[in-house]
Amino acid sequence: MSFLEPMLLAALPLAALPVIIHLINQRRYQTIRWGAMMFVLQANRMSRGYARLRQILIMLFRILAIATLVFAVSRPLAGGWLGLAAGGRPDVTMVLVDRSPSMQETAQGMPGGKLETALARLVPTLETLGSDRFVLIESTANAARPLENPRELLRSPDLGPASASADLPGMLQTAYDYIKANKVGRTEIWIVSDLRENDWNAESGRWRALHDGFADLTQGVRFHLLAYPDSDAENLRLRVTGVRRRKAGDGIELLVSLRIEREGRQDAKESIPVQFEIDGARSEATVELVGSAADLKDHPIPLEKGRERGWGRVSIPADANPADNDYWFTFEPPVPRKTIVVAEDPAAARPIALAASIPPDPALKCEVETTTPAQAAAADWDAAALLVWSAPLPQGDAARAVESFLSRGGSALFLPTAGAGDASFLGLKYGAWSGAKGETAIESWRGDEDLLAASQSGLALPVGALAVRRYQTLIGDATPLAILKGGAPLLSRATTPAGSTYFLTTTAAAGDSSLASNGVVLYVMVQRALAQGAQALGGVRQVTAGESSRGDGVLWTRVSGAKDAISTDYRNHAGVYAAQDRLLAVNRSAAEDAARVIPAPRLAELFRGLDFSRVDERAGRLGSLIQEIWRMFLVAMITAMAAEALLCLPKLAPVRGAATS
Amino acid sequence: MFPENRQRSFMNTAVLSRLAGFPLYARRAMQGTVSGRHPSPHRGSSIEFAEYRKYVAGDDPRRIDWRAWGRSDRYFVKEFEADTNLRLCLVVDTSGSMDFGSKGVSKMEYARRLAAALGHLALQQGDAVGLSCVAGGIVRNIPPRRNPSHLMHVFDVLEETTPKGPTQIDQVLHELAETVSQRALVVIISDLFVDPALLLEGFQHLRFRKHDAAVFHLLDPQELAFDFRRPMRFLDMEGGPSIFADPSEIAERYHKALESYLGGLKQVMLESAVDYHRVALDEDYEQVLVRFLIGRTHTRGVR
Repeated sequence: MSFLEPMLLAALPLAALPVIIHLINQRRYQTIRWGAMMFVLQANRMSRGYARLRQILIMLFRILAIATLVFAVSRPLAGGWLGLAAGGRPDVTMVLVDRSPSMQETAQGMPGGKLETALARLVPTLETLGSDRFVLIESTANAARPLENPRELLRSPDLGPASASADLPGMLQTAYDYIKANKVGRTEIWIVSDLRENDWNAESGRWRALHDGFADLTQGVRFHLLAYPDSDAENLRLRVTGVRRRKAGDGIELLVSLRIEREGRQDAKESIPVQFEIDGARSEATVELVGSAADLKDHPIPLEKGRERGWGRVSIPADANPADNDYWFTFEPPVPRKTIVVAEDPAAARPIALAASIPPDPALKCEVETTTPAQAAAADWDAAALLVWSAPLPQGDAARAVESFLSRGGSALFLPTAGAGDASFLGLKYGAWSGAKGETAIESWRGDEDLLAASQSGLALPVGALAVRRYQTLIGDATPLAILKGGAPLLSRATTPAGSTYFLTTTAAAGDSSLASNGVVLYVMVQRALAQGAQALGGVRQVTAGESSRGDGVLWTRVSGAKDAISTDYRNHAGVYAAQDRLLAVNRSAAEDAARVIPAPRLAELFRGLDFSRVDERAGRLGSLIQEIWRMFLVAMITAMAAEALLCLPKLAPVRGAATS
Repeated sequence: MFPENRQRSFMNTAVLSRLAGFPLYARRAMQGTVSGRHPSPHRGSSIEFAEYRKYVAGDDPRRIDWRAWGRSDRYFVKEFEADTNLRLCLVVDTSGSMDFGSKGVSKMEYARRLAAALGHLALQQGDAVGLSCVAGGIVRNIPPRRNPSHLMHVFDVLEETTPKGPTQIDQVLHELAETVSQRALVVIISDLFVDPALLLEGFQHLRFRKHDAAVFHLLDPQELAFDFRRPMRFLDMEGGPSIFADPSEIAERYHKALESYLGGLKQVMLESAVDYHRVALDEDYEQVLVRFLIGRTHTRGVR
C-alpha cells in the first residue's frame, strides 16, 4: 500500500498510547491495608481467562482506532502501483502519450481503445496523486506542452488517435531536455504505450545517452509505464502495395495490389470483403485469407473517362484495431523524369546521364538535358526531377537556381571535377584529390535506407564490389552513406530543409572508379534519386504519416479520412488531402504493421538503474489505477471504537445491587 | 457502676442510659446461678404457675395444694416456673482484619462499643458477663461473673486488645461450645472472614450445647462497595501475601465472590438458628443494638 501523505505515517507510534497510558496507570497504584483479602484472592483467581481476553481486546481496539486514524489521514491508496507516491507530491508530472495507430486497438468485448482507456485510467490517478505542474508530450508533436490539470488529457483535441508512429526515445529526449531547461524538481514521468518495437526502437544508440542523462539527474526522476502489450491475434491489417494505371481498351483502369495480414490462426481460412473507393465510387472484392497473409495482385478498377488523376481508399470490415483497416492512395499519369546534367566535360558525366535516361519501367519516360555551368541558370528547372552537377560547385545565379530547385523537392547529385576550386555549396566543399595509389575498397554503407538501401527483396546492392581509384575529400557536415577504407566518405547526404542533396567524392570515369563498369550501383543510385525528385514534382504523393516536415499539413485541405483531425495535425492522420494542386495520401508507416512488442527483459534493461515501475493493462479497463481508501480506514476506526465501547460497558447493576444489599 | 470514673473511648453513657430501657432477653431457657429475669429449664419459686403434679413420697407436705385435695380427694403438688439469670459470653474477634475501617472507626472499635454496651446491659439486669478475645485461637478468656468490678476487668481487656493474627473463628467456636457451661448467651462480634461452610459446624455445636448464639457481622462499607478507581496494592492485614490488582478489572468478580459468601453465610445462620445481624460500620451502633434487643423481645425464649 502507498500513501499520499506518507510523512503523516510518522505519527504511527501514537498507536502505542493506550499501552503507555495503561502502563503509567499501572505504576500509579495505591497501597491499602485490606481486611477482606479472601474476596480479592477469589476475584483474582476466578475466570481470569475471559477477563484477560476482554482487557487485551479493549487494548487492541484502542490501538487499532488510533492506527486506522493515522492511516486515514495519511491518505492511503489502493492499487497495483507499489511505492507509487513514496516521495510525496512531485514537482512536475510529465505524461508521454504514444498515439501510434496500434494504440487504437480494442480488447474483445471491451469499450474503448488502448489510448482512450489509458487516458481514462490515468486522469483520475494523476488527479489523486497531484502535482505542481503537468506537462504533456504526445508522440506526433514530440514537444512539451504544459497542462492546466490532468483532465485536459481527456479534452485535448491533439490526443486522439493518430496514424503516425511514435518515437519513444525522441519523446524521452524531449522530456529530458525539458527537465534540464526548466530545472524542475522531483519529476514523475508517465509513459503510455503499447510497447511496439518500432515505436521504442530499443536498439537505437539514443537509449544509452538517455539512460546516462536521466541517471545523472539529481532531482529524482521516476518512470511509470502504463503498458498495453497485448494485441488481438485476429486483427487484420490492410496495406496497398502498388497502384498502376493501365490502358484497357478505350479506357483506363487502375490496377491495385494489396496485402492483408494477421498474427494468429495460421491454418484458418477466411473470406475478407475488401471495399474499394475511387473518388467516392465504391466497388467490392473478396480476398481469401489462408494462414497469416493474403495478397491481391493487380485488382482492376476501371476509371471513368477523362480521369487522369485522383485518389482511392481500400477498406476491410471493422476489427480490433480500426487504424489498420483503411489505406489511401493517389494516382496520376506517370510524370516524365527529367534529369539536368551540368558538366564542364559532358563525356565525364556520360555514364550518369546514361543511367538517368534508361527508365526502370516501360510506362515511365526519362529525359536528360545536358548543359554547362554557365548556362545552368537558364535550364528548364521546373520540369526537372534530378540535377547531376559535375562541375565546380555552383555560384551566383546558378547556385540560386539550384537552391530553388532543391527547396521545391528536387534531388541533386554533385560530383567532383578536376579543377574544383574553392567554391562551397550548402556548407560543403571538395578538398584535395587523394594521392593514394591502387584501389580503395568500400568499408561500409547504409543498407537500410536512402540511395544505397537494399532492394525490396532484401538483397544488398553490390556496393562492396566497387573499386575507387581516386577520390576527393569532402569538407563540411554531411551524413555519410558510404565510407571508404580509411574513413573518407564516398557518398554523403547534405542536410537540407527540403529535397535530397548528395555529394559523391569520385567520378564515374574509368580512371577514378568502377562505378561505370559496375553499373548496377550507379544505376540504382541515380534512379532512386530521380524517383525522389519526381515524387516531389508529381501532382500526387504518398506520404507516411508523421514524416513530412512540421510546416506541412497546415495548408492542406481534407479530401477523405481523418474526420476528427484538426487541420494543423493533418500530416499525422491517414487520409487524402489536397495541397494547392496536389493530392497527398497519408498512411501509417510500414513498420507499424509489425506487431512485435519489445520483450520485458529488454525493456527492463533500458531502464536499469532508474526508478522505474511498469503495469501491464488491457484495453477497455476503465477506472482509476489507484483509489483513495481513507474512508475504509475511517469505518475501521469507528468499528474499533464501537467494539471498544461495547467491551467497556459495565455489567448491569442488579448483580452488584444484590451483593451490597 | 464505674468506680474509677474512667472515660473509655468505646463507652458512651448517653447511649447506655438510653439502652437501659431495653431488657436483654435470651431466646431460650438459660441456666443461671441465681434468680433472674430469664426463663429456666427447672421448676422454681416464681409466682408464675406451671402445673399440678401428683404428690409422691418424699415431697415436702407443705407444697400440697389442699384446695385441690378438697375438690378431688387426691394429693397434688402445685409447681411454679423458675426465673434465673444468664451467662453472657461476649466473643470478640481480634484478628488483624478487625483493624480495618474506612469511615473513621475500625471494626475493632465498633466491636468494643457493641460488647461494652451489651456487657453493661447484662450486668445491669443481674446477668453474668464474660469475654473471649479470639483470633487464631482464644487469645483472652474471662469467664462470666456478675459483679461490676468484673465488668471493669472486661472493659480493660477490651481496651487493651489489639487486632492481630489470622481469623480462625471456626475452630474457636468448637472450643467455646465445649468450655462455656451449657445454656449461655454467646454473642459473637466478628467480620467472619472464613468460609461459611466451616462456620456451620461451629454454630451447630453451640446449638447442640443449648447456647443461644447471636452474631454481629461487621462489614466496612468499602468492603461492600469495592469502588476503587486506581490500581491498588492490597496488603493483607492478617499477614498473608499482598496482591496487586486493578479494581476495575476485578470488581465484578469481587462482588460475585462477596455475594456468594454472604449468601452462603445467610444459609449457615438459618440452618444453625443463629440470631444474625449484618452490620455496616457506617450504621449507628445504638440503632444496631436497639434492633437487636427489640428483636429479642419478640423471640423471648420458652422454658
